[in-house]
Amino acid sequence: MSDETSIATPDDPALLPGTAAERAAEDAEGMSVISSDELAMLPGELRPHPSPFQYVMIAVILCVITALEVGTYYLPNDFPRALYITILMVLALTKFVIVAAFFMHLRFDRPLFRRFFVTGAIGAILLYTIVLATLHVFE
Amino acid sequence: MAQTELEPTPLHDAGPDDAHIVHGHADTNTGATNTKLAMWVFLSSECIFFGAFISTYLLYRGRAPANTPQPKDVYNIPFTSVTSFMLLMSSLTMVLALAAIQRGDHRRFRIWTMSTALFGAIFIAGQIYEFTEFYREGLALKTSVFGSSFFVLTGIHGAHVTVGIIWLLTLWGMSMQNRLGVQHSEKIEVAGLYWHFVDIVWIVIFTVIYLIP
Repeated sequence: MSDETSIATPDDPALLPGTAAERAAEDAEGMSVISSDELAMLPGELRPHPSPFQYVMIAVILCVITALEVGTYYLPNDFPRALYITILMVLALTKFVIVAAFFMHLRFDRPLFRRFFVTGAIGAILLYTIVLATLHVFE
Repeated sequence: MAQTELEPTPLHDAGPDDAHIVHGHADTNTGATNTKLAMWVFLSSECIFFGAFISTYLLYRGRAPANTPQPKDVYNIPFTSVTSFMLLMSSLTMVLALAAIQRGDHRRFRIWTMSTALFGAIFIAGQIYEFTEFYREGLALKTSVFGSSFFVLTGIHGAHVTVGIIWLLTLWGMSMQNRLGVQHSEKIEVAGLYWHFVDIVWIVIFTVIYLIP
Protein backbone atom coordinates (compact mmCIF):
# COMPACT_ATOMS: atom_id res chain seq x y z
CA MET A 1 0.00 0.00 0.00
CA SER A 2 1.49 3.32 -1.01
CA ASP A 3 2.00 5.81 1.74
CA GLU A 4 0.39 8.80 0.13
CA THR A 5 0.41 10.86 3.29
CA SER A 6 4.05 10.51 4.28
CA ILE A 7 4.97 13.95 3.00
CA ALA A 8 3.33 17.33 3.17
CA THR A 9 0.32 17.13 0.89
CA PRO A 10 -0.61 20.21 -1.09
CA ASP A 11 -4.24 20.52 -2.10
CA ASP A 12 -5.07 19.22 -5.54
CA PRO A 13 -5.78 22.49 -7.39
CA ALA A 14 -8.34 20.76 -9.59
CA LEU A 15 -10.47 20.03 -6.53
CA LEU A 16 -10.35 23.46 -4.91
CA PRO A 17 -13.69 25.21 -5.42
CA GLY A 18 -14.31 28.71 -6.70
CA THR A 19 -11.72 31.19 -7.88
CA ALA A 20 -8.74 32.40 -5.90
CA ALA A 21 -10.59 35.68 -5.29
CA GLU A 22 -13.62 33.86 -3.93
CA ARG A 23 -11.46 31.75 -1.62
CA ALA A 24 -9.69 34.87 -0.38
CA ALA A 25 -13.05 36.57 0.23
CA GLU A 26 -14.22 33.56 2.17
CA ASP A 27 -11.16 33.71 4.38
CA ALA A 28 -11.55 37.45 4.92
CA GLU A 29 -15.25 37.53 5.64
CA GLY A 30 -15.43 34.23 7.50
CA MET A 31 -18.52 33.24 5.54
CA SER A 32 -19.02 30.69 2.86
CA VAL A 33 -19.25 32.69 -0.37
CA ILE A 34 -18.54 29.63 -2.44
CA SER A 35 -21.69 27.77 -3.42
CA SER A 36 -21.86 24.16 -2.36
CA ASP A 37 -22.53 23.32 -6.02
CA GLU A 38 -18.92 24.23 -6.74
CA LEU A 39 -17.48 21.81 -4.22
CA ALA A 40 -15.95 18.70 -5.69
CA MET A 41 -18.39 15.89 -5.10
CA LEU A 42 -17.20 13.04 -2.99
CA PRO A 43 -17.06 9.55 -4.50
CA GLY A 44 -20.55 8.10 -4.54
CA GLU A 45 -22.40 11.42 -4.50
CA LEU A 46 -25.01 12.17 -7.13
CA ARG A 47 -25.94 15.71 -6.04
CA PRO A 48 -24.11 18.47 -4.20
CA HIS A 49 -24.62 18.32 -0.46
CA PRO A 50 -25.93 21.17 1.70
CA SER A 51 -23.97 24.31 2.41
CA PRO A 52 -22.59 25.04 5.90
CA PHE A 53 -25.47 27.46 6.51
CA GLN A 54 -27.98 24.75 5.66
CA TYR A 55 -26.20 22.36 8.00
CA VAL A 56 -26.59 24.89 10.81
CA MET A 57 -30.30 25.26 10.05
CA ILE A 58 -30.69 21.48 10.15
CA ALA A 59 -28.92 21.41 13.51
CA VAL A 60 -31.34 24.06 14.82
CA ILE A 61 -34.26 21.86 13.76
CA LEU A 62 -32.67 18.90 15.54
CA CYS A 63 -32.28 20.99 18.70
CA VAL A 64 -35.94 21.99 18.58
CA ILE A 65 -36.99 18.36 18.20
CA THR A 66 -34.74 17.40 21.11
CA ALA A 67 -36.32 20.11 23.23
CA LEU A 68 -39.77 18.77 22.34
CA GLU A 69 -38.67 15.27 23.32
CA VAL A 70 -37.43 16.42 26.69
CA GLY A 71 -40.59 18.48 27.10
CA THR A 72 -42.78 15.43 26.66
CA TYR A 73 -41.00 13.84 29.62
CA TYR A 74 -42.60 16.47 31.85
CA LEU A 75 -46.16 15.84 30.68
CA PRO A 76 -48.59 15.04 33.51
CA ASN A 77 -48.73 11.46 34.75
CA ASP A 78 -52.29 11.01 33.53
CA PHE A 79 -51.24 11.62 29.92
CA PRO A 80 -52.06 8.49 27.88
CA ARG A 81 -48.99 6.27 27.84
CA ALA A 82 -49.57 4.96 24.31
CA LEU A 83 -49.80 8.51 22.95
CA TYR A 84 -46.72 9.54 24.93
CA ILE A 85 -44.65 6.68 23.49
CA THR A 86 -45.98 7.39 19.99
CA ILE A 87 -44.96 11.05 20.21
CA LEU A 88 -41.48 10.14 21.44
CA MET A 89 -41.00 7.52 18.75
CA VAL A 90 -42.10 9.91 16.01
CA LEU A 91 -39.72 12.61 17.25
CA ALA A 92 -36.83 10.15 17.57
CA LEU A 93 -37.50 8.73 14.12
CA THR A 94 -37.59 12.24 12.66
CA LYS A 95 -34.19 13.05 14.17
CA PHE A 96 -32.84 9.70 12.99
CA VAL A 97 -33.96 10.32 9.41
CA ILE A 98 -32.71 13.93 9.36
CA VAL A 99 -29.23 12.96 10.57
CA ALA A 100 -29.04 10.00 8.17
CA ALA A 101 -30.38 11.94 5.19
CA PHE A 102 -28.49 15.22 5.56
CA PHE A 103 -25.49 14.73 7.84
CA MET A 104 -24.64 11.27 6.51
CA HIS A 105 -25.47 12.43 2.96
CA LEU A 106 -27.77 9.53 2.22
CA ARG A 107 -30.08 11.94 0.40
CA PHE A 108 -27.30 12.98 -1.94
CA ASP A 109 -25.44 9.71 -2.36
CA ARG A 110 -26.02 6.71 -4.52
CA PRO A 111 -29.06 4.59 -3.54
CA LEU A 112 -26.72 1.68 -2.88
CA PHE A 113 -25.63 3.16 0.45
CA ARG A 114 -29.22 3.82 1.46
CA ARG A 115 -30.15 0.23 0.66
CA PHE A 116 -27.36 -1.16 2.81
CA PHE A 117 -28.15 1.04 5.79
CA VAL A 118 -31.92 0.68 5.62
CA THR A 119 -31.58 -3.09 5.28
CA GLY A 120 -29.52 -3.21 8.45
CA ALA A 121 -31.77 -0.84 10.38
CA ILE A 122 -35.07 -2.39 9.36
CA GLY A 123 -33.62 -5.87 9.68
CA ALA A 124 -32.54 -5.13 13.24
CA ILE A 125 -35.95 -3.66 14.14
CA LEU A 126 -37.82 -6.61 12.68
CA LEU A 127 -35.52 -9.20 14.17
CA TYR A 128 -35.61 -7.85 17.68
CA THR A 129 -39.32 -7.06 17.57
CA ILE A 130 -39.92 -10.72 16.78
CA VAL A 131 -37.55 -11.82 19.56
CA LEU A 132 -39.16 -9.53 22.12
CA ALA A 133 -42.66 -10.54 21.05
CA THR A 134 -41.67 -14.19 21.39
CA LEU A 135 -40.54 -13.48 24.94
CA HIS A 136 -43.87 -11.70 25.70
CA VAL A 137 -42.29 -8.32 26.41
CA PHE A 138 -45.14 -6.41 24.78
CA GLU A 139 -47.90 -8.07 26.83
CA MET B 1 -0.96 -14.04 -24.41
CA ALA B 2 -2.66 -10.71 -24.93
CA GLN B 3 -4.01 -9.14 -21.80
CA THR B 4 -7.54 -7.97 -21.97
CA GLU B 5 -8.75 -5.09 -19.93
CA LEU B 6 -12.19 -5.23 -18.46
CA GLU B 7 -14.40 -2.33 -19.40
CA PRO B 8 -16.17 -0.80 -16.43
CA THR B 9 -19.69 -2.11 -16.18
CA PRO B 10 -22.57 0.34 -16.48
CA LEU B 11 -23.62 1.94 -13.23
CA HIS B 12 -26.78 0.20 -12.09
CA ASP B 13 -27.64 3.05 -9.82
CA ALA B 14 -27.07 5.69 -12.49
CA GLY B 15 -29.57 8.52 -12.28
CA PRO B 16 -30.37 11.62 -14.32
CA ASP B 17 -27.61 13.62 -12.62
CA ASP B 18 -24.78 11.34 -13.67
CA ALA B 19 -23.83 13.68 -16.50
CA HIS B 20 -22.68 16.18 -13.88
CA ILE B 21 -20.52 13.76 -11.94
CA VAL B 22 -16.88 14.50 -12.34
CA HIS B 23 -15.08 13.82 -9.11
CA GLY B 24 -18.04 11.96 -7.61
CA HIS B 25 -17.35 8.78 -9.59
CA ALA B 26 -14.89 6.21 -8.40
CA ASP B 27 -13.32 3.67 -10.70
CA THR B 28 -15.35 0.75 -9.37
CA ASN B 29 -18.39 -1.16 -10.57
CA THR B 30 -20.64 0.60 -8.06
CA GLY B 31 -19.26 4.08 -8.69
CA ALA B 32 -18.40 4.33 -5.01
CA THR B 33 -15.08 3.66 -3.40
CA ASN B 34 -14.58 0.43 -1.51
CA THR B 35 -13.75 2.40 1.62
CA LYS B 36 -17.06 4.20 1.71
CA LEU B 37 -19.00 1.08 0.78
CA ALA B 38 -17.24 -0.88 3.50
CA MET B 39 -18.13 1.75 6.09
CA TRP B 40 -21.81 1.61 5.12
CA VAL B 41 -21.78 -2.19 5.33
CA PHE B 42 -20.11 -1.92 8.74
CA LEU B 43 -22.73 0.60 9.93
CA SER B 44 -25.45 -1.73 8.72
CA SER B 45 -23.98 -4.47 10.90
CA GLU B 46 -23.68 -2.06 13.79
CA CYS B 47 -27.45 -1.51 13.61
CA ILE B 48 -27.91 -5.17 14.43
CA PHE B 49 -25.13 -5.02 17.04
CA PHE B 50 -26.70 -2.20 18.99
CA GLY B 51 -30.18 -3.59 18.38
CA ALA B 52 -29.16 -6.64 20.39
CA PHE B 53 -28.21 -4.59 23.44
CA ILE B 54 -31.21 -2.28 23.21
CA SER B 55 -33.59 -5.21 22.96
CA THR B 56 -31.85 -6.89 25.91
CA TYR B 57 -32.49 -3.77 27.97
CA LEU B 58 -36.14 -3.78 26.88
CA LEU B 59 -36.38 -7.45 27.77
CA TYR B 60 -35.17 -6.84 31.31
CA ARG B 61 -37.06 -3.57 31.79
CA GLY B 62 -39.18 -3.68 34.92
CA ARG B 63 -37.74 -7.02 36.04
CA ALA B 64 -35.17 -5.73 38.49
CA PRO B 65 -35.81 -6.66 42.14
CA ALA B 66 -37.82 -4.04 43.99
CA ASN B 67 -35.10 -3.57 46.61
CA THR B 68 -32.56 -2.45 43.96
CA PRO B 69 -32.33 0.99 42.31
CA GLN B 70 -34.92 1.50 39.59
CA PRO B 71 -34.59 3.77 36.53
CA LYS B 72 -36.79 6.48 38.01
CA ASP B 73 -34.56 6.50 41.10
CA VAL B 74 -31.30 7.15 39.27
CA TYR B 75 -31.97 8.82 35.93
CA ASN B 76 -31.22 12.55 35.74
CA ILE B 77 -33.04 13.60 32.60
CA PRO B 78 -31.95 17.27 32.57
CA PHE B 79 -28.29 16.26 32.85
CA THR B 80 -28.58 13.58 30.16
CA SER B 81 -30.43 16.06 27.93
CA VAL B 82 -27.43 18.37 28.08
CA THR B 83 -24.97 15.61 27.16
CA SER B 84 -27.30 14.52 24.36
CA PHE B 85 -27.29 18.09 23.08
CA MET B 86 -23.47 18.03 23.13
CA LEU B 87 -23.40 14.91 20.99
CA LEU B 88 -25.91 16.45 18.60
CA MET B 89 -23.76 19.55 18.21
CA SER B 90 -20.75 17.35 17.57
CA SER B 91 -22.55 15.99 14.51
CA LEU B 92 -22.90 19.56 13.24
CA THR B 93 -19.23 20.36 13.79
CA MET B 94 -18.27 17.09 12.09
CA VAL B 95 -20.19 17.94 8.95
CA LEU B 96 -18.77 21.48 9.00
CA ALA B 97 -15.28 19.97 9.20
CA LEU B 98 -16.01 17.91 6.09
CA ALA B 99 -17.29 21.00 4.27
CA ALA B 100 -14.15 22.87 5.32
CA ILE B 101 -11.70 20.25 4.02
CA GLN B 102 -13.63 20.10 0.76
CA ARG B 103 -13.10 23.84 0.33
CA GLY B 104 -9.43 23.48 1.16
CA ASP B 105 -9.93 25.52 4.34
CA HIS B 106 -7.53 23.63 6.59
CA ARG B 107 -7.71 26.11 9.45
CA ARG B 108 -11.46 25.72 9.81
CA PHE B 109 -11.15 21.96 9.29
CA ARG B 110 -8.84 21.74 12.29
CA ILE B 111 -11.14 23.96 14.37
CA TRP B 112 -14.26 21.95 13.58
CA THR B 113 -12.52 18.60 13.96
CA MET B 114 -11.15 19.56 17.35
CA SER B 115 -14.59 20.91 18.32
CA THR B 116 -16.14 17.59 17.39
CA ALA B 117 -13.62 15.70 19.49
CA LEU B 118 -14.17 18.16 22.34
CA PHE B 119 -17.94 17.76 22.29
CA GLY B 120 -17.47 14.00 22.21
CA ALA B 121 -15.11 14.20 25.17
CA ILE B 122 -17.65 16.28 27.09
CA PHE B 123 -20.26 13.64 26.35
CA ILE B 124 -17.95 10.90 27.63
CA ALA B 125 -17.17 12.94 30.72
CA GLY B 126 -20.89 13.26 31.32
CA GLN B 127 -21.31 9.52 30.95
CA ILE B 128 -18.51 8.83 33.41
CA TYR B 129 -20.06 11.24 35.89
CA GLU B 130 -23.44 9.58 35.42
CA PHE B 131 -21.95 6.11 35.93
CA THR B 132 -20.22 7.15 39.14
CA GLU B 133 -23.40 8.74 40.42
CA PHE B 134 -25.38 5.59 39.67
CA TYR B 135 -22.75 3.51 41.45
CA ARG B 136 -22.92 5.83 44.43
CA GLU B 137 -26.68 5.31 44.53
CA GLY B 138 -26.22 1.57 44.63
CA LEU B 139 -26.54 0.59 40.97
CA ALA B 140 -23.61 -1.44 39.68
CA LEU B 141 -23.05 -3.88 36.85
CA LYS B 142 -23.90 -6.83 39.08
CA THR B 143 -26.67 -5.23 41.14
CA SER B 144 -29.56 -6.27 38.94
CA VAL B 145 -30.55 -7.02 35.35
CA PHE B 146 -31.34 -3.31 34.98
CA GLY B 147 -27.80 -2.42 36.05
CA SER B 148 -26.09 -4.92 33.80
CA SER B 149 -28.17 -4.20 30.71
CA PHE B 150 -27.91 -0.43 31.19
CA PHE B 151 -24.17 -0.31 31.81
CA VAL B 152 -23.35 -2.74 29.00
CA LEU B 153 -25.46 -0.81 26.49
CA THR B 154 -24.29 2.68 27.40
CA GLY B 155 -20.75 1.47 28.07
CA ILE B 156 -20.41 -0.03 24.61
CA HIS B 157 -21.84 3.13 23.09
CA GLY B 158 -19.33 5.14 25.11
CA ALA B 159 -16.53 2.91 23.84
CA HIS B 160 -17.64 3.66 20.28
CA VAL B 161 -17.61 7.38 21.01
CA THR B 162 -14.11 7.07 22.48
CA VAL B 163 -12.85 5.29 19.36
CA GLY B 164 -14.39 8.10 17.32
CA ILE B 165 -12.59 10.73 19.42
CA ILE B 166 -9.25 8.99 18.89
CA TRP B 167 -9.99 8.81 15.17
CA LEU B 168 -10.78 12.53 15.02
CA LEU B 169 -7.68 13.48 16.97
CA THR B 170 -5.63 11.38 14.56
CA LEU B 171 -7.11 13.25 11.61
CA TRP B 172 -6.45 16.55 13.37
CA GLY B 173 -2.83 15.55 13.91
CA MET B 174 -2.46 14.56 10.28
CA SER B 175 -3.87 17.93 9.22
CA MET B 176 -1.42 19.74 11.51
CA GLN B 177 1.37 17.87 9.72
CA ASN B 178 -0.10 18.99 6.38
CA ARG B 179 -0.79 15.40 5.44
CA LEU B 180 -4.45 15.97 4.58
CA GLY B 181 -5.48 17.78 1.43
CA VAL B 182 -8.70 18.34 -0.46
CA GLN B 183 -8.11 15.05 -2.26
CA HIS B 184 -8.38 13.27 1.09
CA SER B 185 -11.90 14.50 1.78
CA GLU B 186 -13.23 10.98 1.62
CA LYS B 187 -11.18 10.01 4.65
CA ILE B 188 -12.98 12.72 6.58
CA GLU B 189 -16.33 11.69 5.17
CA VAL B 190 -15.84 8.08 6.27
CA ALA B 191 -14.89 9.25 9.77
CA GLY B 192 -17.96 11.46 9.71
CA LEU B 193 -20.21 8.57 8.78
CA TYR B 194 -18.99 6.65 11.84
CA TRP B 195 -19.45 9.68 14.08
CA HIS B 196 -22.97 10.44 12.85
CA PHE B 197 -23.93 6.81 13.36
CA VAL B 198 -22.77 6.99 16.96
CA ASP B 199 -25.00 10.05 17.34
CA ILE B 200 -27.92 8.24 15.73
CA VAL B 201 -27.55 5.34 18.15
CA TRP B 202 -27.62 7.77 21.07
CA ILE B 203 -30.81 9.32 19.68
CA VAL B 204 -32.40 5.87 19.96
CA ILE B 205 -30.87 5.11 23.36
CA PHE B 206 -31.89 8.45 24.86
CA THR B 207 -35.48 8.02 23.74
CA VAL B 208 -35.97 4.32 24.47
CA ILE B 209 -33.90 4.02 27.64
CA TYR B 210 -34.21 7.39 29.34
CA LEU B 211 -37.42 9.05 28.19
CA ILE B 212 -39.81 6.11 27.98
CA PRO B 213 -40.68 5.16 31.56
